[in-house]
Amino acid sequence: MNATAERQMELTLPMVPDIEIAAARAAGNLARELGMASESIDEMAHAMIEACINAREHSGSEDRRIYVRITGTSLGEGNSRIDIWISDHGKGFDPSAARSKRQARNAVHKRGWGLSIIEAHMDEVAITSDAGGTTIHMVKYGKRSES
Amino acid sequence: MTDELRVSADRRGPTGAILYTKGYINNVGGEEIANRAYELMDDGVRSLLLNLRETKIVNSIGISILIEIIEKMIDKGGKIGFCCLTPVIHKTFQIMGLANYASIFTDEETALREMGL
Repeated sequence: MNATAERQMELTLPMVPDIEIAAARAAGNLARELGMASESIDEMAHAMIEACINAREHSGSEDRRIYVRITGTSLGEGNSRIDIWISDHGKGFDPSAARSKRQARNAVHKRGWGLSIIEAHMDEVAITSDAGGTTIHMVKYGKRSES
Repeated sequence: MTDELRVSADRRGPTGAILYTKGYINNVGGEEIANRAYELMDDGVRSLLLNLRETKIVNSIGISILIEIIEKMIDKGGKIGFCCLTPVIHKTFQIMGLANYASIFTDEETALREMGL
């Protein structure tokens, strides 16, 4: 399998309402160029939206910026891979504590579902977080759309 | 930058209604749906179908507001259904548990029949 990173994009976005849509559209355009199927793009968009909302709502960053890096790689035979890093310079959080809190739920809870949605819609998710900020690295694999 | 949510209502008899949404269901869009839904509930609607055919993006804050609408309707002894969801929105509803408290239908015709609208 011959993997070539052929698309790359970096965005610095202000933490303003609905900025998550700009990030999701940018990633969607890049994925479409690689021929990724629309349902995979849709899943990736929803994950990005939640990641950007988490950064905006919870990071407490002083610079009020979201840093987005997206790379697209053709894996051959119509397969592709999109890597997305969403970072903030906020106060950080403990991902394992967030996961434990989520697993303790046994009823409908209205808020705090962002991480669950991200993990359900993406193929790989890794979070690094400390007092200097948080980066969430998400990967989506796709097959070329038939249409 | 975004497609601002638009909501339109179609009354179906004294106790039924359909709400059609178009655009992004975020916090603002969710509140818009809630306002329309609560007006209908105050006017006696107890069977409410939300047709999301023209909504392609939701976020968890918007869905949390939809859950509040469901809870209020259940408190009033009514029911809420959803139809015409994209596969990803359907999956997101299931993740957040919304599917446990409201019926989800593939198309409007089925929803209307099953909900007696």
